[in-house]
Amino acid sequence: MRTIGLVLTLVLGSTLTGALSAQDVQAQLDGRVSPEVRRAVRSIAADAAAHGLPVDPLVQKAIEGAAKGVPGDRVIAAVRALAGRLGQAMAAVRDAGVAAPAGDVVEGGADALSAGFSGHQVSDLVRVSRPPYDPALTLRVAATLSALGVPTTQALQLVEGMIGAGRSPSDVLGLPGQVQTGVARGATPAQAAAGLARAAGGAPPGRLPDWVPPGQRKPRNQHKP
Amino acid sequence: MTTGYHPLVKRLLDGELSLAELPPELRAEGEEALRLVGAADRAPVALSPALEERVMAAVRHAASSHTASLGNRAWRWLNTPRDVELRLRVRPWTVWAGALAAAAALALLLGRPAPQPVPGTQARGGMRDSVLVRFVLYAPGARRVALAGTFNQWDRAAAPLVPAGRSGVWTTTLALPVGQHQYAFVVDGARWVADPGAPAVDDGFGRRNSVVAVTAQGAHL
Repeated sequence: MRTIGLVLTLVLGSTLTGALSAQDVQAQLDGRVSPEVRRAVRSIAADAAAHGLPVDPLVQKAIEGAAKGVPGDRVIAAVRALAGRLGQAMAAVRDAGVAAPAGDVVEGGADALSAGFSGHQVSDLVRVSRPPYDPALTLRVAATLSALGVPTTQALQLVEGMIGAGRSPSDVLGLPGQVQTGVARGATPAQAAAGLARAAGGAPPGRLPDWVPPGQRKPRNQHKP
Repeated sequence: MTTGYHPLVKRLLDGELSLAELPPELRAEGEEALRLVGAADRAPVALSPALEERVMAAVRHAASSHTASLGNRAWRWLNTPRDVELRLRVRPWTVWAGALAAAAALALLLGRPAPQPVPGTQARGGMRDSVLVRFVLYAPGARRVALAGTFNQWDRAAAPLVPAGRSGVWTTTLALPVGQHQYAFVVDGARWVADPGAPAVDDGFGRRNSVVAVTAQGAHL
């Protein structure tokens, strides 16, 4: 009898919380999106919440679409697609041994999937992203590297290599900017990433991959005539 | 047509490189950028000499109201441990009703909508972990430029940029929390422009969002 009472209490509590979370979604969307989008996003968000997925990215994507003047049907399609990726990301993160992943980790996983990474690659990266590395950030960095044109396998190796070499989380976060600097100097994204991977264990934090200690000459570039 | 500074010139503006470290072909652009940015709000802020006196007076007033003797006595009375024997005789259903009411109250409390962020400085996370990040866009002919992104719920009015004279350079500085953020410039309230000097990712609507990575050491565009 006591157990039944406890279960009833928990069920009632979670139902109330779910209903209020739907109210929260409504409150955030009110006045920012059309009624049609609001209805659809509430439904998608309720379904996502029932599966333990973070709801905030869905609401933010709807707000972003409306702010940019995107037609309602395309906003709804984008939110629905994001919900699907969040579900896949949740499964991938759980495969990495994280039983109850934080919302931002799932969101980072969805970003990585969107950038072309596979579920296995997401799991691999989460597995190696132990403190002080935040898997939410390493996943987003990998996704940004891919968006810059670095092949996904190479992007994964680069991030994992930085973690393996014990470079700071700030160094990992700065990788996209460093790849872009390399590209601005004429390298392809893959070449820039390869240079960073080679330098992962050598250069001090914040230095460019071709950094050499003061007083030493840079090694001769064999590709130059 | 919107163009921006070369990424190395932007690093020069951020103080990460010196003019001498720029490739020769970029030095003229670097000098021009430094001249333009130097013209923008570098004037020192003058504080009134009476400010410190007013602040200290307010602090003393707050301290004296805090140490009021009546308040102290009431606090000591409330805080002194006492032996109390309490015997309750209740029916089980009243306990369950109380538990349900407490659960409902807790759910109501936790489910309240979050307060709206303050325009211009809002971010996920506290200001304590925030870093000042300067955004620059070269948009000659624009009447107004704003910055919208994940840090301000894509609000087109939250973070306007200011023009640096008539050069076509628009700038703003925002406090952003450590992490990765997506954003775009909004030119004349309608045209969404990715930052030409920053990495960009697909926004899900067929356009591109720029990405800025903020670390404790600064921002990486």
